[in-house]
Amino acid sequence: MLEQLFQAIFKADFLFAVMRITAPILFATLAAVVAEKAGVVNIGLEGTMMITALFGFLFAYWTQSWVIGVLGAALVGALLGLMMGFFSLKLKTDIILAGIAVNMLGGGGTIFLLNMFTGLRGNTGNLVTPNILIPTIKIPLIDKIPILGEILSGHAVLTYLAFIFVFLMWVFLYKTPVGLNIRAVGENPDAASSVGVSVLKVKYIAIGLSGALAGFGGAFMSMYYSQGWNSGFVAGRGFIALAARAMGRGEPVGGMLSSLLFGLAQALRTKVSGLQGVSSYLVSLIPYATTLLGLVLYSISLRRKERKHLIRPVKP
Amino acid sequence: MHDRRMRFFNLARGAAAISIALLVAMIFILISSKTPWTAMRYLLIGPLLSFHEGAVIFNAQYLYQVLAATIPIIFTGLAVTVMFSANQFNLAGEGCVLAGGFVGGVLGVYLNINSGWHWVVSVLIATAVCGVIMLIPALLKVKLGASEMVTSLMLNFIILYVVLHYLNFHFADRTKGATMTKEFKPTAIIPSLVAGNSKLTVGFIVAIAATILVALFMYRTRWGYAIRMIGINESFSLYSGMNVGWTIVLAQVIGGMLSGMGGSIEVLGRYQTYLWRDLPGYGWVGITIAILAKNNPIYVPLAAFFIAYLNKGCLLMSTYCDVPVEMIDIIQAAIFLFFAAEQFLSGYRQKLVVKTTQEDLMKLDVNQLRGGGKSHA
Repeated sequence: MLEQLFQAIFKADFLFAVMRITAPILFATLAAVVAEKAGVVNIGLEGTMMITALFGFLFAYWTQSWVIGVLGAALVGALLGLMMGFFSLKLKTDIILAGIAVNMLGGGGTIFLLNMFTGLRGNTGNLVTPNILIPTIKIPLIDKIPILGEILSGHAVLTYLAFIFVFLMWVFLYKTPVGLNIRAVGENPDAASSVGVSVLKVKYIAIGLSGALAGFGGAFMSMYYSQGWNSGFVAGRGFIALAARAMGRGEPVGGMLSSLLFGLAQALRTKVSGLQGVSSYLVSLIPYATTLLGLVLYSISLRRKERKHLIRPVKP
Repeated sequence: MHDRRMRFFNLARGAAAISIALLVAMIFILISSKTPWTAMRYLLIGPLLSFHEGAVIFNAQYLYQVLAATIPIIFTGLAVTVMFSANQFNLAGEGCVLAGGFVGGVLGVYLNINSGWHWVVSVLIATAVCGVIMLIPALLKVKLGASEMVTSLMLNFIILYVVLHYLNFHFADRTKGATMTKEFKPTAIIPSLVAGNSKLTVGFIVAIAATILVALFMYRTRWGYAIRMIGINESFSLYSGMNVGWTIVLAQVIGGMLSGMGGSIEVLGRYQTYLWRDLPGYGWVGITIAILAKNNPIYVPLAAFFIAYLNKGCLLMSTYCDVPVEMIDIIQAAIFLFFAAEQFLSGYRQKLVVKTTQEDLMKLDVNQLRGGGKSHA
């Protein structure tokens, strides 16, 4: 059985699948990273992805253009983020509760909205047309390299965008004034405000951006990954992203690495469930168990480091 | 004087939040329904009154059904109340309801106790199992500092798939079309309180008893005090010598036990076999209820009744009109956002405070003048 598994894993198409599966988690992880850098816990990522996936799909369906769908999803995501911001920053609703409210909208509210807009129940069914789906592209030169080409080329536009966003996010956070303000507000809002940074504005920017990024993830889910919207299909990716952020030490690149780990776990799940005599249900919990385990290991390492810092004598 | 005004303000604010939520619901109904007024009638008064050719009749069975629907969410509401009071945003109540329901259901099928104790023992074991499950996020939080929110979210999915695995490969009754266990033994089914098919069982009394116990625990024992104090100020609790780690674990284990109890009572009270194949959602509703009850256990049954009432209304609305039942999630989300908003209507509160203070000062002035006058005389 293990032999079969190894045969399945050491193939280019497996790593191709890892990248494809990682992309939506990566969008959400970046969303979690930018929000938390500003000291905002965005637990509403799951619901944001569900809602933006629906609206992205609907926009694309109405206009028959995937570009408008993706941009619409990002816009709706940003608006949801700003709504959470309004309630938590202006009306002082606990941000975690605001996030849970968004998740509720994402759970049942989307089914209601889908029904309201299209009369369909639970999934978009046969509304899918090729125009709606995000196209894949072949990268000219890399395409020709034997194995690497198979892994890296032929992905959807948004898959590449997800990995490009990692770099952009790093540049944004560490090389731009706004990024500096975001980090300052997250680390010490009082200090930031004492030097004239508008803490409120920065937090709004961060959570709006966070929502927009989750919107890209949502669009990816409905317009490429599942080729349609159906209820519950985000399946905890928004929550996994929160764990990926924690494991990635809240940094874009670290977040990407832990997202890849979860992508790997999920890809493994699809491979293992194809094998004989394996419980598909136990396989289904691999990504979540990996996440939990990863979080535990990360916390242990963090504790150790803290202890070391405590023991080390303070230099004069 | 001051207290009465603030209490009135808080009541008014709650009412305003709920009104806004219902207003949002009504806007959606107006947009989506062809018969909006009938739909609203079903939503708002349908759960208690039924309509027959113009006559309006009080429907006792409906009331029983609403009360029956409060049973699981009273438990999850209490669970969230205890955990949130200690500032522990543990969201695994959802998973614990499922796990408790499953354990209770399996024991209901396979345990051999030929007396009324059967369901009691099943529920208690399910409760204990869920308490143990909750040790995972609790200990990870206390020992390693891992966010209980993230670990509990992952735990929900892990519980779901473990339960599905055991249901499918070990306990499924293959003679049936759908995946479910064998039928519960008659002794395992929780007896009904009233005649009819409302599912209002003894579980309701257990839920009310649990409410009283949790309220006593939170406000009359030192552990409850420690839980609340940690929620208010963890550092203070630590410096004043409380065992913060232990208390955090305790709060979450109690939360798990209450959720598990709710799940098992729901399964053994409502169904003939165990058949949940997805997370039932009661854990999340529990959060809404804890917010409506302002984290006070005593108000939990009231909040649960309100949500169950709305739920029933939405169900009726979707049965007799063209509005999907998921409307309830939109209403809940709106309640969530406004009810939990500390600064909602804060401008008005500010005015009240100013007015009260001014009045107090005036009184003080008058008294001083009088006092001054006396001393002169």
